[in-house]
Amino acid sequence: MKEMEDTKKSYENIPIPAELSKRVQLEIEKANANQKRKAIHIQRRRILMKKTAIAATAAVVLLTTGLNTSQTFAQELGGIPVVGSIARVLTFRSYETDKTDIKTSVDIPTIEMISTELDGLEKGVNKEIYAFCEQYAEEAQARAEEYRQAFLETGGTEEEWAAHDIKIKVWYDVKAFTGDYLSIAVMGTDSWSNASADAKYYTFDAKAGKWLTLSDVLDGDLKSAEENIRSQIVQKEKETGMNFWDEDWGGLTEDAKFYVNAAGNPVIVFAPYEIAPGAAGQQEFEIIK
Amino acid sequence: MKENLYDKLVAYIVENQDRFYRLAFSCVKNQEDALDAVQNAVCKALAHYEDLRNEDAVKTWFYRIVLHESYAILNAKKRFIPADDTHYSEIPYEEKRYEIHDDLYAQISRMEPDTQNIIKLRFFEELELREISQVLNMNLNTVKTKLYRGLKALKIAIREEDCT
Repeated sequence: MKEMEDTKKSYENIPIPAELSKRVQLEIEKANANQKRKAIHIQRRRILMKKTAIAATAAVVLLTTGLNTSQTFAQELGGIPVVGSIARVLTFRSYETDKTDIKTSVDIPTIEMISTELDGLEKGVNKEIYAFCEQYAEEAQARAEEYRQAFLETGGTEEEWAAHDIKIKVWYDVKAFTGDYLSIAVMGTDSWSNASADAKYYTFDAKAGKWLTLSDVLDGDLKSAEENIRSQIVQKEKETGMNFWDEDWGGLTEDAKFYVNAAGNPVIVFAPYEIAPGAAGQQEFEIIK
Repeated sequence: MKENLYDKLVAYIVENQDRFYRLAFSCVKNQEDALDAVQNAVCKALAHYEDLRNEDAVKTWFYRIVLHESYAILNAKKRFIPADDTHYSEIPYEEKRYEIHDDLYAQISRMEPDTQNIIKLRFFEELELREISQVLNMNLNTVKTKLYRGLKALKIAIREEDCT
């Protein structure tokens, strides 16, 4: 063991370059700036969400009043249960930019209710989606620009920077478009830090005529869904040989991300690094009903 | 509470940056890549500190990220090695300015990556085997077996307390 102790000494003698503390400090400052920006955004988001919630409640109230008071209105609504004929998803805005070798492509979706009875229910969600897409693109560009500045300041050249080929992408994916559900994912990623991927999910129930929460799709039973996920994690660990971080997971809560798949089953989504090593990527757990 | 965790993580990083650098250097074997690995690790850790639900796990969590970033750099470099040289690099690239002239250290660096990391974390970073199993995403018994075999291969007298 004497040998090992000597070896430890030579390991500890690996010289530490002066640049190390500078580079670490640079990252900390970048992160601090992001922290501040995030705090402001969270505040803004809260205000926006509050407004949306009020608008959504107002629309639901109108709809339910209609159902209770008018027989014909209820029948009319009952006759059009297919999402295919009551709503559609369109690309509202699509653009690409290329500034200082930071390439951005953005596709912003919008949901349109064809049925006039449901008209208005989509407004809040559309607003949120729009704000999310614009904000993600803006923040990702600012992050990449900071990265570029730091890269050039630490001796990188413009050519080397261009070779990084930074790409920012905001897009959407319709997860389910069945007679019962419309489920959509809106996502943002950048090519240089898988750490900063973000996504939002929305699921509309055509029969109930409302946007669903996690409790709605799990019939209020978060507990058994959580047990289900935990047993799926054990299975995935066996298959991949990777160790998931389920012991650090605080459990399934109402704000967990989810969508409904084509089979009508809820799927809970975890971002990279949320519950498993980043290398394992995004994790999805289907709860088969 | 969250801000508190963020501040603690920053303090932990500042305090232990030398350790992270050494570990990264022992993987990538040159200064530039080791600096990059640490920098990337700090960036990712601070962007994701919210995922760290358990404050006590900071240490193993951060070592895990440092190793991950170091291997990401090594793997990216491997792509530039000609196709016929696909074996695990027999001649590790060593920074000219600094080489550890130590037979045992050289022997360790030639071992299979998992065993290398287990030995480094156990004896140089003085982590417990339970912590190592968390850092490497590896079953505790596998860690024990690999450590035992590694030490045997190095012809080092194995003490009971090192392998439990």
